[in-house]
Amino acid sequence: MSELSDAAPAEQAADIVLSPDKPKEAQKEPRPPERRVRRLNIIGRRNIFFAISLVIIIPGILSMATKGFLLGIDFAGGTEFTVTFASQPSVASVESAVAADPLTAGGTVIQTGVGGYIIRALPLTPQQQALVEDDLTKRVGPMVVQQVIEVGGTIAGETIEFALLALVLASAAILFLLAIRFRNVPGGWRAGFQFGGSALAALLHDVFLLTGLFSIMGKVFGLRIGEIDSLFVTAVLTVVGFSVHDTIVVFDRIRENLRVSQRLSFEQVVNLSIMQTAARSIITSFTVVLVLTAILIAGGATLKGFALALLIGIVSGTYSSIFNASPLLVVWRRLQPLR
Amino acid sequence: MQLVLSWPVRLFIIGVLVFSLFVDGAGYIYRIANHYPLTGNVPGLPPNFGGLQLYIHRGLDLAGGTHIDYQLTNFPAGQSRADVQQRTIQVINKRVNSLGVSEPQIRGAGNNNDRITVDLAGVTAQQAQKTIGAISKLVYTKWVADSKVTNGPEPGYKPAFVGLTGDDIQSATAAIDQSGVSWVVNISFTSRGAGVFDNLTRDNVAACPGAGTDCPQRHLTIWLDLTQKDIDSWEDPNYVSKASAPYDTGCLAAQTPDTICGKFLTDPTTLQEISGGQAQISGNFTQGSATDLATGINAGSLPVDLQVLDVTQVGSTLGAESVKLSLAAGLLGLSIVVIFMIIYYRVPGLLASIALLFYAGAVLAIFKVVPVTLTLAGITGFILSVGMAVDANVLIFERFKEEVRAGRTIAAAVDAAVRRAWPAIRDSNTSTFITCVILGFVGPPAVQGFAITLGIGVIASLVSSIVVTHNLLAIVMTGSALRRPALMGVDRSVGAV
Repeated sequence: MSELSDAAPAEQAADIVLSPDKPKEAQKEPRPPERRVRRLNIIGRRNIFFAISLVIIIPGILSMATKGFLLGIDFAGGTEFTVTFASQPSVASVESAVAADPLTAGGTVIQTGVGGYIIRALPLTPQQQALVEDDLTKRVGPMVVQQVIEVGGTIAGETIEFALLALVLASAAILFLLAIRFRNVPGGWRAGFQFGGSALAALLHDVFLLTGLFSIMGKVFGLRIGEIDSLFVTAVLTVVGFSVHDTIVVFDRIRENLRVSQRLSFEQVVNLSIMQTAARSIITSFTVVLVLTAILIAGGATLKGFALALLIGIVSGTYSSIFNASPLLVVWRRLQPLR
Repeated sequence: MQLVLSWPVRLFIIGVLVFSLFVDGAGYIYRIANHYPLTGNVPGLPPNFGGLQLYIHRGLDLAGGTHIDYQLTNFPAGQSRADVQQRTIQVINKRVNSLGVSEPQIRGAGNNNDRITVDLAGVTAQQAQKTIGAISKLVYTKWVADSKVTNGPEPGYKPAFVGLTGDDIQSATAAIDQSGVSWVVNISFTSRGAGVFDNLTRDNVAACPGAGTDCPQRHLTIWLDLTQKDIDSWEDPNYVSKASAPYDTGCLAAQTPDTICGKFLTDPTTLQEISGGQAQISGNFTQGSATDLATGINAGSLPVDLQVLDVTQVGSTLGAESVKLSLAAGLLGLSIVVIFMIIYYRVPGLLASIALLFYAGAVLAIFKVVPVTLTLAGITGFILSVGMAVDANVLIFERFKEEVRAGRTIAAAVDAAVRRAWPAIRDSNTSTFITCVILGFVGPPAVQGFAITLGIGVIASLVSSIVVTHNLLAIVMTGSALRRPALMGVDRSVGAV
C-alpha cells in the first residue's frame, strides 16, 4: 500500500512548477500557513543558496590560508603569575579584576590555597608584567608575587592533528554508512554514494564555514572571541555530528518518497522531502539554539567563544542540510543520471 | 514496534528508572540513612555502595589538577615494550589509588612506548609530586661482613643484592595484624618471588639459628633505587648516612648522578623460613607509617626507571564561577526547551519532557557508575545528546501530525509515526555513534571525553525517545479524555485531505 501523507502528487507537482512564476497569486489565496510553506521552491533556486554559502566560505578559506588563526592561551602559551594576596580575596573578585585589566582579559584564574592564586594570561613583556602587577594590587589588594614564568602552549599541534585524522576517518565512515543505507534507492550503490557524497559535502561546508569565520573574526577583526583552543576543536566536531544528523533526516525522507511516489521527478521528490522535514529541522535547531543563546548571553566569559562556535555551526548545519545537501544531490543526479 | 510496548520492556524501563534514581540520589540516600543533614559537609562522602564510589567524576579542566609526563628508561631486556609500559601504568595506578587520589588518568604515550602521562584532578603539583614522587625500583639486599663499614643500618656489614626486586612483588598492603592491635605490612610475592624469598629466608635463619636470636645476616633489607655504585661507596660513612636515610620521594624523583638520596625502606629480622609467598613485616608501626611503607613497596615494584619530563599544574580552564554560570544558563535553556515542547506539542510535548527527564537521569547514573570523567567537552557532548533526544521526539511528533492530517485515528497515527520516523532516527544516530567511536579511538584526550559522553547519550536517547515516549503515548492513548486532537497538538481541519 503506497501512502503519501502530504498533498496529492499532482497538486504538489503543480505547486513546484508554478511557484516561481506566480508567488503573488499564491499569497492572495487564504491558505493555511503550512500550504504556503510547501510552495517554496528550494531546488529551483539552488544556485542562489550555493552562492550564499560560497560568499561566506571563500573569504574564510582565504583568511585561513593567508592569516591562520588567533590562538587561545591553552594553545599559544602565555605568562603565568603565581601570587598570594594578603586580603584572601574570593575567586570571583580575582577573576573580575583579571577580566577588567585589558592586558589579562581572557586569562584564567586558579586558586591554589587561601589567598594564593595562579593567573594565566597571554604572553606579556616584562613592562606589561609590571603593569599587570600594579593593576592587580590596585584592584584586589597588596600581594606577594612568588614567580612569573612563561608557559608553553599545550600540544596544540598534536590536538589539531588528531582532530583532523578523526575528521577524515569520520567522513569516510559517514560516506560508507550512507552508501550502505541508501543503496536500496533506485540507482543502487552509485546512488548510495551520491547520497553519502552530498552529505559529506554539506558537512565540509559547515566545517569550513565555522573555521573560516573564526579565522576572520580572530585575525581580520582581531576579536578575542575568535580565538581557537581545545574547546573550539570540540565545537567543530560537535557540528560535524549535528550536521550529518540533520542531513540524514532529509535524505531519509527522500528515500521514503522515492519509494511511494513514483510519478514525481527526482527534483520534485527532493523538494517535497525538504518541505516535509523543514518544520522538524527548524524546531530541532531552534531548541539547540535556545540553549546556546542562553549560554552565550548569561554564561561565563570563558564559554562565550565556545557557545558562539556551536551556534554558528548549528545554524550552518541546518542551513546546509536544507539548502545545500539536497540541491547538491539533485545536481549530482543530473550529472550522473541513474534512473 | 509492538515489542516496544510489551511488559518486559516496560518493566526494564521501570528498573532503569529506579536504579537511576538510586544512583543519582546516592548522596542524599546516604545522608538520610545515616541521619546526617542534607546539606553541608558530612563524613563518608562520596558514599560507597558495594565498592562503587558514586559521584560525578570531574576532569582536569573542571576540577584543576596536575599533569605529569614521564620518560621510561632502562627497559628490561627480552620483554615487549608495550607490556612493560602497561605494567608500569598499572603500578602507578595502584599507587595513586592507594593514596586516595580520585580519578587518576594514566595513559601510555610516545612512539616507542616510552612515555606515560598522568593526570591527577583536584591535586596541586606539590601534592602530586609527593603522591607519585619517586617511582623507583625496589631491591632486596642481605648483609655481608665488611669491617670497614662504620655506620648505616648494620655497622660492620654492607648490603649485597639477592636477586629479589620489586618485579617479584605482587602487592603490599597495610593492615591490622591477627591480634587486632598493631599495624603490619603484608607483602605477597609472585610465584618466582616466592621461591627466591623461601630460599633467602631459609639461609637467613640458618645464619644464626634459634628462636629470638638476631644477627645482621638474618636481616633482609628493602631499598628503593639502591644501585651497585651505592654499595661500592658503602665504606664512606658520609655516603652511608645519606643513602640509608628513610627514602625521600622528592629527592629520588629529581635525582642526578651527583645527588645522594635517602633510599632506605625497612630492615626487618627474618623470624622464620617463609615458603608460601606471603610475608608480613611487623614492628612499631602506626597506621600512617605502615601505609607509607606499603606505598613505598608498591612504588618500587616498577619494571623500568621513570624520569620526570614535565610537571604542570593545570587550572580549571574556566574557573569555578564561569562553570556555575554556564551550567545555570544551560539549565535555563533546557527549561525553555521543555516549555516550548509543551506549548507546541501539548500532551506529547509533556510526555517527551518526562522522557527527557528520564533520559537525563539515566545518563547521569551511567556517568556515575561507569565512571565517566566529565570534562567541559564531555558536558557539551551530553548537552548535544539532549538535543538529539529532543530531535527524535520532534521527528515522531511531526510525523504524528502528518499522519493525523492524512486522516488516521490518533492511536493509529501514533503507531505509524513511530514506525515511519524510526529509519531516520536510526540512521542519523548510527552516523553520530560511529563518529563517536572514531573520535573515542583516535581523538586527542580532550575529544575522547566528548566522544564517550555523546556516544552514551546517543544510545540512551534512542531508548528514551523510541521506548519511553512511545510507551507513554500508548498509555495516554488508552485514556479517552486525552485523545482529543487539540490536546495532541494537531488541528484536524488543517490540511485534511
